[in-house]
Amino acid sequence: MKLPWFKRNGIFFIPTAIPGWIILLAGFVFAIYSFIDIDSRSHSASDTLINFVFMLLIIGAVYSLIAYVTSRVIKK
Amino acid sequence: METDNFEKQLADMTKPDVKGLKHEDMLATAIINARDKSVVSWWWISVPVFIILMLIMKSTFMPGTTLISAMHELESSQKYLSLIFFLISPIIMIIINAMTVRKIHFLSGSPKSINFLETIWFNVLVIALSVLILIIYSL
Repeated sequence: MKLPWFKRNGIFFIPTAIPGWIILLAGFVFAIYSFIDIDSRSHSASDTLINFVFMLLIIGAVYSLIAYVTSRVIKK
Repeated sequence: METDNFEKQLADMTKPDVKGLKHEDMLATAIINARDKSVVSWWWISVPVFIILMLIMKSTFMPGTTLISAMHELESSQKYLSLIFFLISPIIMIIINAMTVRKIHFLSGSPKSINFLETIWFNVLVIALSVLILIIYSL
């Protein structure tokens, strides 16, 4: 598929192609699933938030790595 | 006759039309790459920074707990996770960002001005944070 899928804007990578939007959507869905899962096992609101922010940072780190790799334009 | 031809050829010759220096393009690409790399590094370094902040909060509100003891506790309970986020990840970030800074420094003609620092300050910040994480982990 034709690259780039993302372009960087500040500290965020914004999708510019359909595969990029699919990756972003998958990240959102996984974040929502994580929130529901963490919330069902936690004992307080702060417990949920602390664990969810940690998970959100990991999702962000993996997403940014994928976006960085697929935002390159391969020169022939 | 031949001399005339040669003179005509010389007259027809023009200088190559170079709109921009290749070196400038290389430097611009290196700076853009450095910013991209520093953003990815920032996301990866934010995970151990967040854990350290949470451990500081824990040591503040739980009597008899210090950051170092909380870190050792985490290290024993989450061996591989702590190894990835507190040792492997910061080392990789230091190497990548140091190489990027070195490349820009070389391409820009080894400047000693404040403008150079303005260009690479985010990479330097990531390196400093990575070193701090490694120090805290090694205590």
